[in-house]
Amino acid sequence: MTRILVVAESALRELLRRRTVLIILLLFPLAFYLSRRGDHLGQSIRFVCLGLGWALSTAALFAGSAARGMEPRLRLSGYRSMHLVLGRLLALWAVGALLCAPYFVLILVDQHDVRYGAIALIMVLTVAVAVPFGLLLSAVLPRELEGTLVLLTVVGLQMVMDPASTATRALPFWFSREIGTYAVDHTDSGYLTRGLTQGLVFAVALTLLVVAAAAVRLRQRRHLRIA
Amino acid sequence: MKDNAWLAALTGELRRHGVGPDLTGHVVAEAATHLAESGESPLRVFGPPEVYARAVADSLGGPDVRPPRRHPGPVRLAARGITKRYRGQTVLDRIDLTVRAGQIAAVVGANGAGKSTFLRICAGLLSPDAGTVQVHGALGYCPQDGGTAEFLDPDEHFVLIGAGRGLGRATARRAGRAGAAALDWTPPRTQARHLSGGTRQKLNLVLARLGEPDVLLLDEPYQGFDRGTYLDFWHEVWRWRDAGKAIVVVTHLLNQLDRVDIVLDLTASQERTA
Repeated sequence: MTRILVVAESALRELLRRRTVLIILLLFPLAFYLSRRGDHLGQSIRFVCLGLGWALSTAALFAGSAARGMEPRLRLSGYRSMHLVLGRLLALWAVGALLCAPYFVLILVDQHDVRYGAIALIMVLTVAVAVPFGLLLSAVLPRELEGTLVLLTVVGLQMVMDPASTATRALPFWFSREIGTYAVDHTDSGYLTRGLTQGLVFAVALTLLVVAAAAVRLRQRRHLRIA
Repeated sequence: MKDNAWLAALTGELRRHGVGPDLTGHVVAEAATHLAESGESPLRVFGPPEVYARAVADSLGGPDVRPPRRHPGPVRLAARGITKRYRGQTVLDRIDLTVRAGQIAAVVGANGAGKSTFLRICAGLLSPDAGTVQVHGALGYCPQDGGTAEFLDPDEHFVLIGAGRGLGRATARRAGRAGAAALDWTPPRTQARHLSGGTRQKLNLVLARLGEPDVLLLDEPYQGFDRGTYLDFWHEVWRWRDAGKAIVVVTHLLNQLDRVDIVLDLTASQERTA
């Protein structure tokens, strides 16, 4: 546990010291929110949640890429790949929670007649999904530019595709639109259930994939025997 | 310059000039006694520490190059038949290396001879096409570059690596700072990205040593070191050897090879396969 916490603390320090990145991270979802604030209040909620997911995934992608140089050394120093992944996940989840908090307050103040609990749930799921999604991209695509382009494609598709079509359920942030509809348009709880199920499945699956990818990449090679 | 600072500088300079630890202790103790009794400034009495140390070393007839008496211990690292190919070209061909506790092995060879590749295979960071590596004890690895976190300062690096080795925060910081002092370096509270190349390599080296691993794999760790630090580095390596560590150093500087126990020349391996 100590090792996980030390990795989380170090990852958090590294993130918090990138001040420009932090400012952009904080303002990025605001641009999404304001873009639809004038014409459709409900839509601005859906957009800000997507913006949060995009911002967090990008932060996780870059944090994962930056850690690649250090991780083999940490592995040799006695860490298991699980310590490294869980530590980094913890740090990024904490950043995600900090990032979402002001936007939740903004919605509380600015929006009325919406289901605030459901909006909080979207934000929790967004943090839970976006972080492993970004880390997984950094594990699979070692070059940051490639990962960024994939992220752009996924979030772009998420925004333009019809949420009612079956194909969109394969996108990681589909739950955001579904629960958003429940929260804003006061639809039946079917939207909530479908969104929650999809979000949970993606959060668990992506986290497991990140753990598995790190275990493969940082495995002890077969030719080496340490007695 | 105050007495203690001058005496500390003299100790380092004597070591750099190859004066053995016993004689260094004796010279420094004599100088300290003289300064205490006379109450004079060391710069006035002896001059700058580097000049006085050179005079002492010259009076002894040059650096002490006698190898200390050593009895190599059990095998710590055994690499057998290591073969590695890149794009159809054989870089390493059935390389063997055995290093015992209390031995230094230098891996030498021309650029592209596969020195770093061999070390990465020994560290388990890269898989060979054939061959095995057996390590008895904990491994410490100092890469040629990278290996540090840009936004963490040296103390935070010590805590991070130390936790992996099972050290508490205070112990890790103390051990890191002691390792840094041996390289004549006081770690600043500056993030690694602001350190110079040579200073970052000092940090890299100290991190490799944290937790006293039994086997040290050092990949040209002295890049960017000034002459004094380079000499300090070799003195540290010899000290680690005397403490029973098994050390593998990748190097292309051949002037220290008379002070190592094993030389593995990978150029010869490439010529054999050409």
